Amino acid sequence: MTATQIRVKTGPVGAGKVRKPWTAGQIVLTVVGVAVSAVWVAPLAWALFTSLKSETEAVEVPPHWLPKVWTAQAWKAIFETGNITNWFVNSLVVSVCVTVVVLLVSALAGYGFARTEFRGKGALMGLVMAGLMVSPAVLGVPLFSTVQSMGMVDTYWGMILPQCAPAAMVYILYKFFQGIPRELEEAAFIDGAGRWRVFFTIIVPLSRPSLSAVGIFTFIASWNNFLWPYMVTNNPDLMTMPNGIATVMNSYGIQWAQLMAGGLMAGLPLIIVFVFFQRQIVSGVAHTGLAGQ
Amino acid sequence: MTTTNAEAALAPASKSIRSISSGDTESARARVGRALQHGGWFVAPFLVLFALFVIWPVLRGVYLSFTDANVSGVGANFVGWDNYREAFDDPLVWDSLGHSAYFTLLVVPCITVLAFLMAMLAHHIERAKWLWRLCFFAPFLLPSTVASNLWQWLFNPGTGMVNHVLGIDTPWLTDKSTAMLAVVITTLWWTVGFSFLLYLAALQTIPDHLYEAAKLDGANAWHRMVHITVPMLRNITGLVIALQILASLQVFDQAVVIYDFGPGPEESTRTFVQYTLEEGFTSYRVGYASAISIIFFVIIAAVALGRMWLLRKREEGVR
Amino acid sequence: MGRPGLNRRQLITGLGGLAVAGSFGFAALGSGADALASSAASRVRYWNLFSGGDGSNMIAMLDAFRKANSGIAVKDATLQWGNPYYTKLAMAAAGSRAPDLAVSHLGRVAGFAPGRLLDPWDTDLLAKFGVREQDFNPALWKRAVIDGKLYALPLDIHVQLNFYRKDVLTKAGLLGDDGLIVPIASTKEWFDALKAAKKATKNGLQTVGIHANDQNFAWWFFVAFYTQLGGTYFNDAMTEVTFDEDKATQVLEFLRQHVTDGYATAGAADAEQFMNGSPFTWEGNWSVPVYSGAKIEYGAAPLPPVFGKQATHAESHSFVLPHQSDRGGSSNEGAHRLAAYIVKNALAWAAGGHIPAYTPTLGSAAYKKLTPQNEYVSAMDHQATEPKAWFSGSTGTLAARIGPVVASSTLGSAKPAAAARRMKNVLETLLAMKNPMDGRTAAQGGAA
Repeated sequence: MTATQIRVKTGPVGAGKVRKPWTAGQIVLTVVGVAVSAVWVAPLAWALFTSLKSETEAVEVPPHWLPKVWTAQAWKAIFETGNITNWFVNSLVVSVCVTVVVLLVSALAGYGFARTEFRGKGALMGLVMAGLMVSPAVLGVPLFSTVQSMGMVDTYWGMILPQCAPAAMVYILYKFFQGIPRELEEAAFIDGAGRWRVFFTIIVPLSRPSLSAVGIFTFIASWNNFLWPYMVTNNPDLMTMPNGIATVMNSYGIQWAQLMAGGLMAGLPLIIVFVFFQRQIVSGVAHTGLAGQ
Repeated sequence: MTTTNAEAALAPASKSIRSISSGDTESARARVGRALQHGGWFVAPFLVLFALFVIWPVLRGVYLSFTDANVSGVGANFVGWDNYREAFDDPLVWDSLGHSAYFTLLVVPCITVLAFLMAMLAHHIERAKWLWRLCFFAPFLLPSTVASNLWQWLFNPGTGMVNHVLGIDTPWLTDKSTAMLAVVITTLWWTVGFSFLLYLAALQTIPDHLYEAAKLDGANAWHRMVHITVPMLRNITGLVIALQILASLQVFDQAVVIYDFGPGPEESTRTFVQYTLEEGFTSYRVGYASAISIIFFVIIAAVALGRMWLLRKREEGVR
Repeated sequence: MGRPGLNRRQLITGLGGLAVAGSFGFAALGSGADALASSAASRVRYWNLFSGGDGSNMIAMLDAFRKANSGIAVKDATLQWGNPYYTKLAMAAAGSRAPDLAVSHLGRVAGFAPGRLLDPWDTDLLAKFGVREQDFNPALWKRAVIDGKLYALPLDIHVQLNFYRKDVLTKAGLLGDDGLIVPIASTKEWFDALKAAKKATKNGLQTVGIHANDQNFAWWFFVAFYTQLGGTYFNDAMTEVTFDEDKATQVLEFLRQHVTDGYATAGAADAEQFMNGSPFTWEGNWSVPVYSGAKIEYGAAPLPPVFGKQATHAESHSFVLPHQSDRGGSSNEGAHRLAAYIVKNALAWAAGGHIPAYTPTLGSAAYKKLTPQNEYVSAMDHQATEPKAWFSGSTGTLAARIGPVVASSTLGSAKPAAAARRMKNVLETLLAMKNPMDGRTAAQGGAA
């Protein structure tokens, strides 16, 4: 499968669309869809409503959905007292750096493996494939030990660099570059263009959908990454959102309204971005996943 | 995160570089050939990172697994096979491996079926398609720790919504019979969106004419699903299952956050990854933790290679 | 793409470029958003694990310190209690990026590899700030000294208590003329008391909360009652396990009986039930401010001496100096000053339920007036503590391995005798195990 085929269709485009009539089947399906969606969205709504309650109302028994008294105290409190703005900036710095580095190195490597020749290529490709099986979950302790010996525990680079060698992304782009017609490049070579120029002026523009898919997926994965930042950062000032929320407490104990506000603060940016860039994200995720076929 | 390995694309790499097909003159052919020589520079930046943060840690892990290294990073002594011998006698290794396997056994079928059904829904409802996609996929955009905190709160006996809505009184998080189930439910809610999207994308590649033909033959909706949709999605189902198995075996985030970094009621939710980190960072035994990590690595590799073997066998069967 | 027009795209590209440039700039700086905001003459980075009532008391004490010492900027961070805290602290110290000052349970200090992950206190500097050895309980001070150096500055002693509702106990006839719970000296008397109290309890509430499925509490309660029976764990040379399975079985059966006789419900929210009218709950003294805040009539006694001898589980919070390769200078002095200040001004801390380690506070009239603190202050004279070894201490290796065994017996998934055997196995395994930090067993004095 190539990239273009698996782009998820996002509904009919153009204005001349005719509404289909409500059939019995459509009604049943829609009702079921609404029900399932409600179940799926309810926890998020619950988080939002909890964050708008006072701390005492949040722990009232029995629980109730809507706040009796709407208050933004939890949201104010997380900005005033906590480290949360620090964590937000840290998350942003780490995710942006990871995404940029991953895009750069995996595009270059994918192209290198797909379209150029060098000694030992087959063996290296095999090695990269084997690298797919390594993750911080499987070999976290040795990875930590490595990063520790480089003196990068509790630094940004210690968080960023180990996330920057994703064999999977190289593989995805490798498959994509293989599908680009060779004739396009060859014409340029014959005109005397060097391979770097060909890469940046022909290949990169052609692969924008694939690159954005890889970029989006990398950003989501990095923004939400917990395990590795958890292992490699101890200083609360350096933590990213997922890590800080899980390991650093408010001195006043678990305050659910604040915890929910903090959680939404960590999750909302991606959800808002999703609403606006739904098509790119959906195809990005589907694309990166499907490339495994 | 569950999905960092979701891309674990394990199909065998094709090594073929097609020969240059155009190129009329000798010099043009040579020019193209020259341009494609020494491509190592393209690969170099990645290889440096890959060597430092993938290959080297693996080698270092193997080395550390034969030492009594501690977390301070200095003063390791060679201890031979001691760590491995201890690991095979350590009941917690087997317990935690069992918990991860049990989790996998529960999550994988549920997520596969649920993702398929949700994709069928979203595919066949004609209105507001973006809305279904948004609702089903949104939880996946939350960090694992946020999703887990949220469900920890929902499962809370007095103040939580789960018991309240269902009108029951289950001590979800304090009873060992439901403890892992709570982690499973959290995981389903949080990650089903990813597999859902894969299915949705795959559904759209099934040509309409297959359905049209079946309709003409008088097949009803159920028959069309069983005889066309499900077989057409065989590949994607294989992929979803494989990715989920690999990700689920590596479960860590949800279980530790829901149980406040502890092992759960009566140690019923300590996962394998959690145990390696406890040994490495709580008991400071980096050498021993490396040994059990290597054992885990072998298990993961076996699963991955098993899938490759299955795929190859199936391809041969098709031919 | 392309339809929204070039302007939006240009804007996004511009913003994206800015974000990328900014991010790399930050990453190059390397030390976090916080590094941009330090101006005070000396900075003390201080980690603790206090939440709830303890957390707010600690913050009040820090604020008082800040007011009195404007030249020192205290940057405090509260990490999640238990293993994550110690893991983070050990790793920060191993990575040489440790905070200047931290809190640790006294029992954990031995396993924290003094000299490698911890730096010793400068007792001269402490004396300059008014804290001297003679101001402390000698036994406590001794626990903090390793290889002749002071590695921990004790802040308090905290004990497990038997909290009781005076209103319910009056109805059950269990309250003496002095307004305190009647003395209980055997298991029979204890279960009789529970029986009487159960009759006086509102329906739907348990009679006593014993945190049946919490592995930490399970172990703490076990230590208390096992010590009442005179049980030991190891011989003095730490070469032999002296754990008495019969005594242990007796304790485990005692704990189990609370569940089988229906006095305790596994998984119940113990604190909430107590506040709603459940007559007894076993809790750490840190719950004092919670119950005082709930405006209920209650008392707190040491765990009942049901096996004849007084003993209740005790631990201590202390201040430690995590290892820094370049420790010294104004941050180090600030850390000493801050720790000394808090130890000396711990009355607010004592109001939070803890027994102060600084004896001048303990002897003050203000402390003697605190209730129910004055009812249980005697608990510090019969402390039941874990054996002193590298694997001990709050949520340490021993507690992590043995606590679940106790809990499994109380909850009924293991027979008490079998659980006692498993406990002995755990102790044997740990005695043979080398302290990973220095490669020595407990017998070889592995950092103890």
